[in-house]
Amino acid sequence: MNRRGFIGYVIKQRTLLLMLTPAVLFFLLFAYVPMAGIVLAFKQFNYTGGVFGSPWNGWDNFRFFFESGNAWMVTRNTALYNIAFIIVNNVLQIAAAILLFEAVGKWFRKISQTVMFLPYFISWVVVGAIAYNLFNYDVGTLNSILTAVGLEPVDVYNTPAYWPYILVLVSAWKTLGYGSVMYLAAIIGIDKEMYEAAEIDGANIFQRIYRITIPNLFPTIIILVLLAIGNIFRGDFGMFYNMVGTNGLLFSYTDVIDTFVFRTLTTSNEVGLSAAVGFYQSVLGFATILLANYAVRKYDKDHALF
Amino acid sequence: MQKKKSFMLLFAIIMVLTTVLSACGSKNNENPGNSSETTNKPATDATEQPAGDGKADTSEEVKIKMLLVGGKPIDYDLVFGELNKKLKEKANATVEAEFLDWSDWTQKYPLKFAANEDFDIAYTANWAFYSDQAIKGGFMELTDELIKANMPLSLAAMPAVAWEQSKVNGMQYMVPNNNPEVTDKAVLIREDLRKKHNLPEVNSPESFANYVKTIAANEKGINAYNAKAADGWKWHELDQILLEQQNEWNLVDYSMPLAYKLDDATGKIFNVYDTPEFKALVTYYKDLADNNAWSKNVVSNKNDVWQDMKAGKTASYAHTLGTVAMNLAEMRREQPDVELAIADLTPDKKKIAAISTQNGFAIHATSKKAERSLMVIDLLQNDKEIHDLFMYGIAGTHYEAVGDDKFSATAGTPNYTGFSNWGANSPMNRKDAAYPVEADAIASAWQSKVYNFDLETFVFNDANVKNEVANVGNVMLRYAIPLEYGLIKDVEKGVADLNAQLKAAGIDKLQAELQSQIDAFLASK
Amino acid sequence: MSATVNQIEKSDKAPKSAGKMQMDRLALNLIGYTFITLLAVICIFPFLLVVSSSLTEESKIIEDGFQLFPTAFSVEAYSLLFKYPTQMLKAYGVTIAVTVLGTALGLFVTAMTAYVLQRKDFKWRNQFSFFFFFTTLFSGGLVPWYLMIVNYLDLKDRLIVLILPMLLNVFYIIVMKSFMSSIPEAITESAKIDGAGDFRIFLQLIIPLSKPALATIGLFIALAYWNDWYNALLFVSSENLMPLQYYLYKMLGNMDGMRRAMVSSGAVVTMNIPTESLKMAMTIVATGPILLAYPFIQRYFVQGLTIGAVKG
Repeated sequence: MNRRGFIGYVIKQRTLLLMLTPAVLFFLLFAYVPMAGIVLAFKQFNYTGGVFGSPWNGWDNFRFFFESGNAWMVTRNTALYNIAFIIVNNVLQIAAAILLFEAVGKWFRKISQTVMFLPYFISWVVVGAIAYNLFNYDVGTLNSILTAVGLEPVDVYNTPAYWPYILVLVSAWKTLGYGSVMYLAAIIGIDKEMYEAAEIDGANIFQRIYRITIPNLFPTIIILVLLAIGNIFRGDFGMFYNMVGTNGLLFSYTDVIDTFVFRTLTTSNEVGLSAAVGFYQSVLGFATILLANYAVRKYDKDHALF
Repeated sequence: MQKKKSFMLLFAIIMVLTTVLSACGSKNNENPGNSSETTNKPATDATEQPAGDGKADTSEEVKIKMLLVGGKPIDYDLVFGELNKKLKEKANATVEAEFLDWSDWTQKYPLKFAANEDFDIAYTANWAFYSDQAIKGGFMELTDELIKANMPLSLAAMPAVAWEQSKVNGMQYMVPNNNPEVTDKAVLIREDLRKKHNLPEVNSPESFANYVKTIAANEKGINAYNAKAADGWKWHELDQILLEQQNEWNLVDYSMPLAYKLDDATGKIFNVYDTPEFKALVTYYKDLADNNAWSKNVVSNKNDVWQDMKAGKTASYAHTLGTVAMNLAEMRREQPDVELAIADLTPDKKKIAAISTQNGFAIHATSKKAERSLMVIDLLQNDKEIHDLFMYGIAGTHYEAVGDDKFSATAGTPNYTGFSNWGANSPMNRKDAAYPVEADAIASAWQSKVYNFDLETFVFNDANVKNEVANVGNVMLRYAIPLEYGLIKDVEKGVADLNAQLKAAGIDKLQAELQSQIDAFLASK
Repeated sequence: MSATVNQIEKSDKAPKSAGKMQMDRLALNLIGYTFITLLAVICIFPFLLVVSSSLTEESKIIEDGFQLFPTAFSVEAYSLLFKYPTQMLKAYGVTIAVTVLGTALGLFVTAMTAYVLQRKDFKWRNQFSFFFFFTTLFSGGLVPWYLMIVNYLDLKDRLIVLILPMLLNVFYIIVMKSFMSSIPEAITESAKIDGAGDFRIFLQLIIPLSKPALATIGLFIALAYWNDWYNALLFVSSENLMPLQYYLYKMLGNMDGMRRAMVSSGAVVTMNIPTESLKMAMTIVATGPILLAYPFIQRYFVQGLTIGAVKG
């Protein structure tokens, strides 16, 4: 297309472009301009020079992370946890949304939906405190129950292998209400005529869910999963930190990039180091999302993110 | 294809725009930011002005902005109103403080410097990134001329050691607090339980072990010893007593396991984890842990140990002498039937005076009111009237003066407290009249054992080994803490693992760097 | 165009054919009630612990841990929170103002952006989507962002700083776009033939058709504003602009800090702060209004509207 064509198209679509302007400006101001700060990953930050005037120091800021001997472990943990969260959380949310929509009465639906939203409001600090009450060895509720029925008490805080299950469950619990609302909205958007047609064809309700509801949820599922994949190398700091804290015994199973970096940097408050790890997470996330998006585009162009 | 091209054009335009914007940004950044050139200016101005007549010019009234850590006290307006009357009288200046809450100061404090916001005096301390901030250019260098011209009182009152200790790379950036107390740790125990079980006095590691094991065996539902191990501290909370004080070592920095012997004039550095003393201590801890002296989950404990002790669920814990003394006073007041005692487990060992950088004030690098700010700090620390106001509030409202050097708390005390006015600590501090006498006795006994040595003014500069410091710290949390709390079955193997991991994390490089700095320091003495 | 049929009402009705259909519905109901009840119990249990602990004496919490029923009833935590009632009311006021303004504005711009991005005849839609999405992957970190807002935009200590920096979220835009793409294109096309402009189509046709999506995304935006304390932490120091969550957060942090501070400064600790029960009471105080408002918003996505109805 030549220049005139380009400008011609801009003029033709001026309304749509104008409608995009507020968002474009917003992201320019609050995301793209500050993005220049990525250079901090390669700089020895000081106050005199600021973001642009500080001296370059090459890859020095990355060294602490890659020389720690933990880079691979925390990267792997972060990705595995996020994959588990994506699968478990979405399956549960979809199941809850379908059942809320199809299987239960109006009042029950309203009340249970409100109730499922409650965990969203409990801060991770409080969740961590409750978990400690539940799981601690000496006086925890879990062990009180176990010993009362004559079983051996379990030492949760000294047994790393329990933690993947605990963390996945806690994440599912916390996001259930929030996530199922999204799927509920998608289900409501499904054209009811499809159900009527299926009913006339003699399909039972399970068949209708399987053949109509779930396929119609696919676009939403794909979008939500793609969005999550972009952040697969970012750990939910609030969750990991408040659930596990600085219990070194559990780190092999529970340490994610964000908690590792936090612990490492609390004593040094070095802007460049955290920028470096952030950059590393971004690059990995970017590569992953490009792959995932490419895969989706191959399967169905309309469902891809971009 | 065409479509793509035209979009790429648009995208390119946007990117160019972004770069231009951020480039403008960087220019703007320097304007309000007053970067490189202007940073040094006030310092030179400052030295030039008073050089004229040797005395600072206070003819113009100025308003000094302070950056303090902690919540804004409820009676801030009242107290600072009074304070400003005095300051105006004596230095023709008034102060206005901005408070960075305890909950978020670590995040906000560096940002205030990065954005070069308008303030003159900033609270600082070794635990508040003092040397880091100084190296990054956040603070103004306090030259001898500046100090001489503006801080006559501090110059007279502050020991040279305090000034020396607060230098970074040989340059002074802080007016440290003037507080020569010993801050060694002591153990708070349940004296009533000790008597109940007919145990000998607790005054050594052995008698403490005996006490703890007896309590663990006989008192159901009580943790014989407890610690808040989940707060990121990289040592067992008894280590300062049983490893450092007991062996008369000095750990150069608690973020790494490197120490020297107090009486070693050559300042030879060693890895404490790689010593027979450490292995013996871990065996001692393991024995305690196996006897259920502390909860199996102690490394996840987030509860406040003192609250646990008050609730009768914990029978001992370690903290600085000042803190356990206040705990003791509190318990006497609230639960007189519970008898506590302060146990000093290493009564005969050498003591080290507190390092001066534990609290202090610095001048913001871009402040244009450096001289007057220093005058204000001088008065806050050394002018009795102003010091009392700043530290304790208004007499009769926030405290009751008891003689010249003591105070007692009043109902109004909570309305003026809880923030970092400690930068102004000085020998003029008042002591709490309710401070237990036995703590005083311990403190003065310690004071008499204070050991002075060349290396006490040495401060490690970790600029070249930041990565190693970070990684060693991680290894300490991950391998040393579980080992010390007796959670690793095989002590031998645990110690070996720990040292192997430390090697991988670069402890050798760290040790070499530290040793060379110490050697250089000693050579210059 | 037939009247809007409420789909839920419909599925609740007895099925047309008896027998076999009844059985499958029964089975589904059985599964549904069991599963949902189970989930609901798991979700409500910790919340009940929170409620109960907020009403329990601090010393009892330390002794016995959190219990389902208060072992020693006390409203100390709440009275401490409301010690300065005008401050608290002000904080509620700020939060409500920020939530209402932010949600209204944010939702509108989100919907408008999403609408353009899903227009199949807009050939730069993918590129613009990428332009937005890219910001979720790369960021310059806290310092440049802070400098932007404080030094260049000069928004510090203004109400707008609580609204503007979180006005748009790429996640919401993309989800909204996905929801909107289920609106038949025919609607836009026929309106265009009638001579309606793009903006008018969006305003008068698309918005009414997107109510479930707007309700959902609106809820998310509102929750984000309601729960935000980070912007306030960074940019607000005036007491008149403190939103509820930050006010609470600050209160707890300072009480904790004050206890430590009083000890290390050598002052006598004259007050005991019920940290544990306070944390719990804060959860209740911050969540309460949302829980009260929730049923009113809820009907949009529990019952919803069907777009099939508009099709005909």
